[in-house]
Order: sequence, then C-alpha cells, then structure tokens
Amino acid sequence: MRLLSFAALGTVALTLAACSDPKFDESSQVGPDPVLPEPKQYLLPPINVAPGEGWQKGQTPVVPAGLRIQALATGLAHPRMVYVLPNGDILAVQAKSPPPEPVKRPKDPIVALVKNKATAYPGGPKAASRITLIRDANGDGVPELQVTLLDNLHSPFGVVWIDNMLYVANTDAVVRYPFEPGQTSITTPGTVLTELPGGPIDHHWTKSLTVSPDGSKLYATVGSNSNITENGIEAEKSRAAVWEIDRATGASRVFAGGLRNPNSPNFYPGTNTLWVVVNERDELGPHLVPDYLTSVEDGGFYGWPYSYWGQHVDPRVRPQRPDLVARAIKPDYALGSHVAALGLTFYTGTNLPAHYHGGAFIGEHGSWDRYSPSGYKVAFVPFANGRPSGKAEDFVTGFLDNEKGKSFGRPVGLAVDKTGALLIADDVGNTVWRGSSAAPAR
Amino acid sequence: MRPDNERERPRSTASIFGHPIHAMLVPFPVTCFVGAFVTDIVYSRTANLQWQYFSIWLLAAGLLVGGLAAMVGFIDYFGDSRVRRARPANWHMGINLLAWVLSLINAFVHSRDGWTAVVPEGLILSGIVVLLLLVSGWLGQSLVYRHGVGVEE
Repeated sequence: MRLLSFAALGTVALTLAACSDPKFDESSQVGPDPVLPEPKQYLLPPINVAPGEGWQKGQTPVVPAGLRIQALATGLAHPRMVYVLPNGDILAVQAKSPPPEPVKRPKDPIVALVKNKATAYPGGPKAASRITLIRDANGDGVPELQVTLLDNLHSPFGVVWIDNMLYVANTDAVVRYPFEPGQTSITTPGTVLTELPGGPIDHHWTKSLTVSPDGSKLYATVGSNSNITENGIEAEKSRAAVWEIDRATGASRVFAGGLRNPNSPNFYPGTNTLWVVVNERDELGPHLVPDYLTSVEDGGFYGWPYSYWGQHVDPRVRPQRPDLVARAIKPDYALGSHVAALGLTFYTGTNLPAHYHGGAFIGEHGSWDRYSPSGYKVAFVPFANGRPSGKAEDFVTGFLDNEKGKSFGRPVGLAVDKTGALLIADDVGNTVWRGSSAAPAR
Repeated sequence: MRPDNERERPRSTASIFGHPIHAMLVPFPVTCFVGAFVTDIVYSRTANLQWQYFSIWLLAAGLLVGGLAAMVGFIDYFGDSRVRRARPANWHMGINLLAWVLSLINAFVHSRDGWTAVVPEGLILSGIVVLLLLVSGWLGQSLVYRHGVGVEE
C-alpha cells in the first residue's frame, strides 16, 4: 500500500514534467450526466492562468454568425455584474476584492499572487467598488449617459431593484437605498437589511442577489470560505449556501446548502424555481469537478464539502459525514470542469433568434487549475418546459489570446436589456458588451 | 591555530573563530523535521488543522535552515581533503541530502488542502526523514568525535 503511494507520487512527478492535461472528451462533462474520472492529488496541481492584456481599440469578442457584439461601456473599474432597471437603465457593478485573508500556510500568499495576475492588465483601470449607471434610452447600443451612482462600497456583486428600493449585496451585508428608476444619483445613505458572512477570511466573497417572483423574499448567495475546508469547518458556518432574506424584516435563513460557490441566482421566468450556477472544488485534477447549473430546492443539500456530483466522497474532508453524503442532491446540468461559471441569465427577450428564447446564458470566467484553459466564454444552454433540454453551445468566445496565452477579457455577470440584447460584464477588459441581432434594434 | 599542513585533524573550512558553522545550524532542521513528524502524528489522530499548519511551517523552516547547513557542509567537505577521506563523510552527506529532498517533496504534499495534505503520504515521508536524520546524525557525530573534524588542536 505504502509502496503504491510512492509509485503514485513518482508518476505524478513525471506527469508534472509533461505540463499538459491528459486526453479527455471535454463535451462528456457538459450535460445532466457528466463523466467523472478518478480524483488525482498532486505535488503541484496543474496551474495555468491567462494574464490579462485588455482589448485593442475596435477589437471585440466573437458571436455566432448573424449576430453582432459591441462595447456598450468601456473604461470601467473591474465590472462584475450587470443589472437592468425597469426603465431600461443599466447598472454595472464594479468591485475590488476584499482585503487579503490571513496567511495560514506558506501556500496562501503564493496562490493569491498567481490568481491576482489574471484579474487585470498592466496599465488598465484600477478596480473600484462602485456602481455605474448607463443610459441608452434609444436602445442603439450607444449610451447617452454614464454616471457613478454609488461609490466606495464594500466589494459589491449582486444588485436587485423592487418597490422603489435598490438592494446591493456587498460582501458583508445586503444594503438598501430608496431609488426610483430614472434617478441618476443616490445621496441618501443606505441602510443594512441583513448582514452576510464577510472577513477576516472571505475566500469566495461574491454575494449575488435576486428577488422572489412575489417580491417578498430576497435570495443571496454566500460562497464557501475555502477550497475544501482547509480553513476549518467552523469558518464555513452558513456558507456554501443560498440564503433567503425576508424583505420586510431582514430575517434570514439558509435556503439550501452544500453549494461550494453559488452565483447569479435567477428564477426561471414564469415559475417559482430558483436556479444558480456553482463553482466546484479544485485540485482533484483537470477534469474534476465540473461546475454546474442547478435548480435549488428549499432545504436541499448539494454535497460540498463532503461529496461532489451526488455521492462521490471527497477524501480531503475530515470528519466525514456519511449522513449528509447520503442526502446530497445531484445537480441538474454540468458545465465542464474549472470553467468558473459566475453569470446566469434566462433569455426573456425577442431580439435574438428564436433558438435562444427561454434558454440560459452562462458567464464562464475561465480556469486556472488545469493546463488547457476551459471557460473564458459565454455558453448557452437550451431549455424546454423549464428544464435544460440539450447540449450547451458557445455563444460568445474570443476572450482568450491563444497566441500569447493571455486574456483580452473575462466574462462574469449577464443580463438582458430592454431591447432584448444580452449584456456581459467583462472584468479584465473593463467593458460591458452588448450582443444582439445584426439588424439594428427597433 | 596551527597552519593546515601541520594539523593532524581535518579542518572545518566554514567556521567562525574555530567554531564550525555547520554544527551550529544543524540542530534547527533536525528539530523542525522531528517536530513536523510529531505534529503530523497529532493531526492524523485529531484532524485538528492547527497541527497541519504547524507541520508545514516546521517543514518550511527546516528546509530553509537545512539548506544553509548543507551549503556550509559542502564548504567543509570540499575545503579539506581529509574531511572527504573520513569514511562517514560521504554517507553523512548523501543521507542528509536525501532527507532534504524528501522534505521538499513532503512540503508540496503538505500544501494540499485538507486531510490528504498529511495522511498518508505526508506522515510517511515525515517518519522516513526522522529515521534518516537519526542515521546521518550518528555519522555526523563520528566525523567530529572519531575523526575530529573541526576539533581544535
């Protein structure tokens, strides 16, 4: 047994020298029933980040034939989420990361350094925690107004508006501001509705937000505080979860758990079913574990940290919890390993071809924990009868500069604007992109 | 101190006022690597992460000071042919180098996340290194107490 371990160590060291991922059919990990190879552990996990370089003037990502993409707003400060108000005004949520977490191991500062390399490009705008309002009243994709609505927030990500109240999910609290669509400034200070788990450890810090169809509840996502509990299970209290917040009182409860890093909660239009995209765990190999899109049940548990994709036990967690593994729900739809799905929006417009109506667009920020990049694109998952109904396809690509091994930009949050165009927040390219039918919008 | 060619005992080239630097540095990695084995055992029995953090910092410190001790050791080894002729010297060096390389691999194992940072490979490597250090320490003492490396005349 021991001999075997060392033989394995040797093999790992050899594959390490090769610096490429083993051959694998990536499409087998997209869909409701992904192929899951055996987990692998490394001396040095495969790492390949694409450092940012920004877009050249006039350069854009690539959309399918017959569609067009244009920059709606540029020069933003690390835009991560886009949101469309009822009057058509667009909010671009920009955020800088919270202060670095306390160093517990020599590994921590090194990993932080590697990941930070890929969050901006040299000479680009500095990240800021602010919300910018963009107005394109005639819907031609050329805004008439771009103005800072809120500044000096605490690493915001999610935002939602209802009943003349703008709710902002900072990394440590949901804050609300009285706000009427049409307004272009907010002067009243916000009030905290509900505090969320923030620092000093705030590993997956993006808190995203949506509102229930009846308007009474907010749903906030709270990511895990580690890759796989290496900061201690006590740091994970109420994390790796979707929270339900009562809009009237601010009272909160964990709605569903075991979701490692859930983002972009969205109700499927016309239903009471909540969907999220989830980033799964790292350092088990280039083809584990697939990130996923799933509907979320009240009281549901989705495995993290104890198991993945149902009952596949993660050997790195102690104590183990067979009781929780037994009730872990298998997610609905795998998106591929390490794609870093952060954005999700259901297509409710009519501007794009009928093929896209009712389907889901997914913003895939892109991988670091493998040699061949995955993600770095916006994918489309067709839906029928409120469920995924076919293979995912690429919708927006061209974010990677394959020649230089760098990225022009990286997609994050998505929204559909009032004309039915798809909006994409690009946090490395500091741009909000607008994808629409080639014919100018009506 | 007598000039080299009149000395009977092998000289320690890297020394301060006749005190060999290698002997000053060596207790640090030994203590760190033995300590890492102890904290690994405790972690494997408690799953309390504090012990895993102890282990990786001990390994890191042991590798750093152990690396310095090795460099100074090389200077002694190549600085006086009588050191190289002393029989335990090659084994002392070889085993210590092996212990250092295994500890480096062990540091990477210990940089995994969670339980498998220690159990089983990390714990096994830490144990092997302690055994190796016992042998190489014995040989190192032979170099000093038998062969008189760096001993004042």
